[in-house]
Amino acid sequence: MSVIQRFPSHVSGLHNKLEEKYMKIIILGSGQVGGSIAETLAGEANDITMVDTDPAVLRRLQDRLDIRTVVGSASHPSVLAQAGGEDADMILAVTLNDEVNMVACQIAYTLFHTPTKIARIRSSDYLDHPEIFMQEAIPIDVIISPEQIITDQILRLIEHPGSLQVLDFANGRIQMVGIRAYYDGPLVGHELRDLRKHMPRIDTRVAAIYRRDRAIPPEGHTVIEADDEVFFVAASKHIRAVMSELRKLDKPVKRIMLAGAGNIGLRLATELEQKKYSVKLIDHNTERAKRVSEELHKTIVLNGDAADSELLQNENIDDIDVFCALTNDDEANILSAMLAKRMGARRVMALVNRVEYVDLIQSDVLDVAFSPKQATIGSLLAHIRRGDVVAVHSLRRGAAEAIEAIAHGDRSSSQVVGRSISEIKLPPGTNIGALVRGNDVLIAHHDVVIEPEDHIILFVVDKRHIPEVEKLFQVGVTFV
Amino acid sequence: MIQTHPGVTDEVQTISVPAFHLATILDQDRIVIDSKVSSKKRLLEGVTALLTHGSTLDTTRVFQILTERERLGSTGIGEGVAIPHGRIDGLDKPVGAFISLRKAINFDAQDQQAVNLVFGLLVPEEATSQHLAILAKLAGMFRDTALRRSLAAMNDANEVYNRLIHWDGTTGNT
Repeated sequence: MSVIQRFPSHVSGLHNKLEEKYMKIIILGSGQVGGSIAETLAGEANDITMVDTDPAVLRRLQDRLDIRTVVGSASHPSVLAQAGGEDADMILAVTLNDEVNMVACQIAYTLFHTPTKIARIRSSDYLDHPEIFMQEAIPIDVIISPEQIITDQILRLIEHPGSLQVLDFANGRIQMVGIRAYYDGPLVGHELRDLRKHMPRIDTRVAAIYRRDRAIPPEGHTVIEADDEVFFVAASKHIRAVMSELRKLDKPVKRIMLAGAGNIGLRLATELEQKKYSVKLIDHNTERAKRVSEELHKTIVLNGDAADSELLQNENIDDIDVFCALTNDDEANILSAMLAKRMGARRVMALVNRVEYVDLIQSDVLDVAFSPKQATIGSLLAHIRRGDVVAVHSLRRGAAEAIEAIAHGDRSSSQVVGRSISEIKLPPGTNIGALVRGNDVLIAHHDVVIEPEDHIILFVVDKRHIPEVEKLFQVGVTFV
Repeated sequence: MIQTHPGVTDEVQTISVPAFHLATILDQDRIVIDSKVSSKKRLLEGVTALLTHGSTLDTTRVFQILTERERLGSTGIGEGVAIPHGRIDGLDKPVGAFISLRKAINFDAQDQQAVNLVFGLLVPEEATSQHLAILAKLAGMFRDTALRRSLAAMNDANEVYNRLIHWDGTTGNT
């Protein structure tokens, strides 16, 4: 009888791992969203098949990425079958056409019982009726709307002046905020453990620190320097207090100028005017400007070029608290935001699709550059990660991730349940920031013991350690 | 009789298993030999079909339960064996099914080995200690190299059935 090998339950994910493909995923639509998703997912050893009607686009993608491609109409049963519909774990319908995406999910469900169906739906007419997407109607498990994700992200940034990033966890009960420490700020020159003395009644925890673009481990004795990018976690209701403690200089935002009245510009203006901000919206297209001015009530819609200094001057750009460039032209967004900044806008942000650009234009020129790709990918990754992962936010241009995972099982079937935070063997560069137990937010101090069904919020500095984090949260075989 | 099987995983090892006979949850109709499925998803569909065979259970629901359980952590226990399982309401007693694969497939198993022997298990929503007992028994059983080898080599469902239900935990060979 042969000897049975014992398998270490904690295989070091980087070296010993067999390069087995993990999930079989069909992506419908190789546009901007589909292409960037394919890029991220193919890089993580998933088996990707991309479907598009345009062979040239598919060829270009295939030159760069290890994916299969199928040319054809995304919703046709024969095309889906050819793409491996029978075997696929997940279908991602992200064509530009809502109807094609919906039909494709319906067909995948009916013919192949595809377990996870994710679709991009843009029209708010559909989105306003979630009952459409029930299993017995149009079976879509997850709806993604990149425009809505970006809109929400910008809203949170505006509501938290001084933040570089505001991420929601546990249905908004916990937030993780990225800020830049500045000279003379209360944070700079102090050890992290002093945070507590500054804010005796508020519990918060620093989950990550980036200094000159490199992560440094946040320990009690770590001293924050000016220009450090600091990510901290707290109950959402405490975020404002923590922010004001850390960045006393930031005044609340009142006047906002948006450049570009596209889908995102219009959504954002609608929400901002409801929240009583004073909003100006610029669009160079006369027709579009006219149309959105009819839809908006209090927003002042201007027809003109957002990079026209005269226009900005006339609209008192130096009085503007937040300038936000939202057209679908990266260069135009960067330039108009830079101009606005030079002309005195207090804080400028730009929508930038190309990751290369985001790298070029950090902090000194623009306050915030956000990428729709990166915002969207997180909501998909939540469904791809092993273990009961509820939310994923992709950070630092995809290098880092903030994750919310649920612990299940007991001390024997789980590697986290029944253990205190200091007992949990976390991979390098990984920190637990907080957890949610029922309705309570618990900040992750070393002696907090994990209970089953706790939602745990982690920061993972290096995405390559994600497989180890996944392993940590997976239950053993005896979990029923 | 209390029997303790050294489990494939540490967790299983610590559980003492009350007497339990595989014949109470398995029958010949729920065994498929030499299946040619090529993905985990289709394998789980196959397991679902066997588990719901001749019952009123909703196949969509069972498939969903098995898929969701896999997401929490693969039930591939190592050495080419997987025990996909789940709890469902409206079931009066546990039911099992067995599939052997012609070609092993990726099951995201703990030891990263491809899987060729699959025992599916569905248990009633309540009574977790019984589930643990069954799981422990199965895990212990499939730790037997001789059993795994002979199951993989068999091409008759009856033969597999007899081998499974008569496994007594002591043998290497039959």
